[in-house]
Amino acid sequence: MTTNDHIVFIVDDDARIREALTELLEAHGIRSIAYGSAGEYVRAEKPDVPASLILDVELPDINGLDLQKQIAKGSHPPIVFITGYGDIPSSVRAIKRGAVDFLTKPFSNDDLLNAVQTGLAQDREARLERAEMTALLERYSALTPRERDVLPLVVSGLLNKQAAAELGISEVTLQIHRRNVLHKMQAASLADLVRMAEKLQIPITHSRRGPES
Amino acid sequence: MKASPYIRGEADWYAPTAATMMCVWSHRPQLLHLAIFFSAYVLGCGFAEALRIVPGITVSIWPPGGVFIATLILTSPYSWPWWMLAGCLAEMFGQLVWFHSPLPAGFLIYVGNALCAAVGATLVNRICGRPVWLETLREVLAFVVLGAGVAPLVSATVGSATLAWFGVSSQTFTAVWPLFWVGDATGILLVTPLALVVIQQWRAKAQLSAAQWIEAGVLGLIFLGVAALSLSNYYLPFAYIIMPPLLWAAVRFEFKGVAVALTLLALMTMALTISGDSQFVGDPESQRQKQVMLQLFLVISAFSALIVAAISRQHQQAVLTLRQSERSLRELLETLPTHIWCTTPDGKPIYFSQQFRDFVGFNVEDKDADGASRPSNVLNAIIHPDDRDTVNALFAHSLATGEPYARKHRLRRFDGQYRWVETRASAMRNSNGALVQWNGVCLDIDDQMHAADALRRASEKLAQATQAASLAELSASIAHEVNQPLAAIVANSNACQRWLDSDPPNLERAQVTVRRIIRDVNAAADVVSRIRALFRQSVETKTSAALPSVIAEARSLMADEAAQRRVRIDADVENDLPRVTFDRIQIQQVLINLLRNGIDAMELIAGERILWMRVRRVGDVVQTEISDCGRGIEFPDKIFEPFFTTKQSGMGMGLAICRSIVESHGGRLRAENNKPHGATFIFTLPVDEKAAS
Repeated sequence: MTTNDHIVFIVDDDARIREALTELLEAHGIRSIAYGSAGEYVRAEKPDVPASLILDVELPDINGLDLQKQIAKGSHPPIVFITGYGDIPSSVRAIKRGAVDFLTKPFSNDDLLNAVQTGLAQDREARLERAEMTALLERYSALTPRERDVLPLVVSGLLNKQAAAELGISEVTLQIHRRNVLHKMQAASLADLVRMAEKLQIPITHSRRGPES
Repeated sequence: MKASPYIRGEADWYAPTAATMMCVWSHRPQLLHLAIFFSAYVLGCGFAEALRIVPGITVSIWPPGGVFIATLILTSPYSWPWWMLAGCLAEMFGQLVWFHSPLPAGFLIYVGNALCAAVGATLVNRICGRPVWLETLREVLAFVVLGAGVAPLVSATVGSATLAWFGVSSQTFTAVWPLFWVGDATGILLVTPLALVVIQQWRAKAQLSAAQWIEAGVLGLIFLGVAALSLSNYYLPFAYIIMPPLLWAAVRFEFKGVAVALTLLALMTMALTISGDSQFVGDPESQRQKQVMLQLFLVISAFSALIVAAISRQHQQAVLTLRQSERSLRELLETLPTHIWCTTPDGKPIYFSQQFRDFVGFNVEDKDADGASRPSNVLNAIIHPDDRDTVNALFAHSLATGEPYARKHRLRRFDGQYRWVETRASAMRNSNGALVQWNGVCLDIDDQMHAADALRRASEKLAQATQAASLAELSASIAHEVNQPLAAIVANSNACQRWLDSDPPNLERAQVTVRRIIRDVNAAADVVSRIRALFRQSVETKTSAALPSVIAEARSLMADEAAQRRVRIDADVENDLPRVTFDRIQIQQVLINLLRNGIDAMELIAGERILWMRVRRVGDVVQTEISDCGRGIEFPDKIFEPFFTTKQSGMGMGLAICRSIVESHGGRLRAENNKPHGATFIFTLPVDEKAAS
């Protein structure tokens, strides 16, 4: 009944809560793995699928909020906090650091399930984003040095004539490079290439009107 | 005459060595002093010659003996050879001019005189120490008896023997000896005090007031008049009439007066005797007896005057010391940084110290305009109106019973400000136990009172804040305890619903979740009932009962849990324990709590797990001890504080509540660490008074 294309991690020191949450998620067709402490979670081998993390604030080893801070550097699943005593400052802190939700026990199941689903969706999106980025980088690395010179000039909107003058090459040569760039980057149009350049954070260095004086 | 410190050892003195000789040389007196000594000695010889009125007898009063002994008393023994040499020359001079004895006889007599001076000076110095001030009765007596009495025995013996041997003026030993002795003694008594006073005290310039000068002048005139009248044989044929003015001089002017008066007396006597007007001059037959009478007269005068002067000096010293101690005592009273006061036995003020006078602004002697005593008018009025009645009642009670008085109250200062003071007073009684006066102190404690007030207010606020904080913590703690199972229940029930709704319904899973729901609901209910039990105000009133029954109950209640966790509970309950009054449920709660703590404490130990209970009577309490052999208590001070816990799942309320229960029963609960390991919790319950009596 549960599918393998996603996973929910549960970190709570209370066995009853772990049990109940696993049961609840399973009843909703969501696969989950439960851990008793932050350390256990960090050390565990985790499947590389879209995931979400249900994290208790009060943990025996370290505070859930501190764990959030620790794992913030790497890519991690979106976090849904649950707590026995929720206070406003810590919930604000958690949300500001990107938590999906901050639920106080006893929480409603809908809230939890919604939050988990949101988390999974966010992670899925993030994963797609990351995959697309990886592909783009791969294509970009296939460009020759000259083609990498041509790309910013083209996406800046310079006319072929202007770009050729900028690089000190003939307009015909430039057109060949430009065609190669479009092909290698698998861009359907110039507009598509501009979007890719933006994602790759290639700066727009020139203007068709010529350098500002 | 140089007075050198007397430090040398006696052995050096008796065994003359080169070093001793060097000492003698280095101690040679100044030539001027030797010359003065020589002149005084020769003058003394002349005086003796002038008084030598008995025909055929060569001895009379011998002033040089006094000069000699005074000089030796004041100088170092190492310089004595020099003085003896000078004395020898002076006496030989006297022999040549006046006495005309054969030279060897004169020398032998001198040897006797020198020995007398050396013996006298050594004895007096030995008894009185140095320097000899002749200030105390002891010193005067030592001088009179040893210096003037014993020492002349030597000179009298040597001198009389010489005279008899050489047959000078055909005198016999027995006839001359007494005259010789009395003559030397008189000379010493008359001259030595004068010499000592002149040398030692005249240096420290005595300050005489105008009145004293006048008194001295008047006394001198009276003295001379009486002396002239009494000593001459025309008017008052009774020489001792001189005594009153002599003693007057002794009492009022002490040694200086005595020295001057005795000198005057001796000179007068000499003048009158020479002129033949003295009553001590008579026909040749009675002359010998008259001579003795004259010498006795002088000896008795000198002796009496010296003793009186010494007594007077001692009295003066005592009065001075007394006055000084009185003054320092008064200064102490006046300068102590507290208010001191005294009242009569019936409470009338008789003394305020300076500090108290400054505080209240008046003194005990002050009178008001109406002529009434100010303290009696005002003292009551300056007590704060709110305190006045209790102060008066309390002080009246003390006055009536003689019990010490102590009270803190407000007192109006001279500037109108009321200040807190602490007054304490106690009765002073004489040797018969009768109350003589009340002595009291009055401390200004205004600043302390304000500080204490502020402290009390601060701690009240703190207590309120702590209470509020405790309540907040407590509710948070309870919420967490209850929310955990509730969250589980909600999740499980939702899952259960899902399993039942699915097609086909997953009954197996639904059952699992329902079981969990039931378990968690029970857990939540448990938490709630536990909390209720903690805060339950027991409706059961306290009853008087025997403690062992409750202990047995608690043991049986815990038996299962203990067995499950491999803990043995041993109990040692004393027989015939007295009954105590307690709330059965509450004390059972305490016992179970302590037993469970003990079992928990031994969770991790490997050896035998024994929980040991001991109940016995200690004084007027029944003491229950529960000892475990766990790891002991790390924070014995803190374990009774609310919310302090060392357990994974604990609210930290158990021991705090146990303590409040025990204290509400009038007992105490405390914890101790055992040696080598484990902890003991001890609580006491007071024995019923009826049972105890």
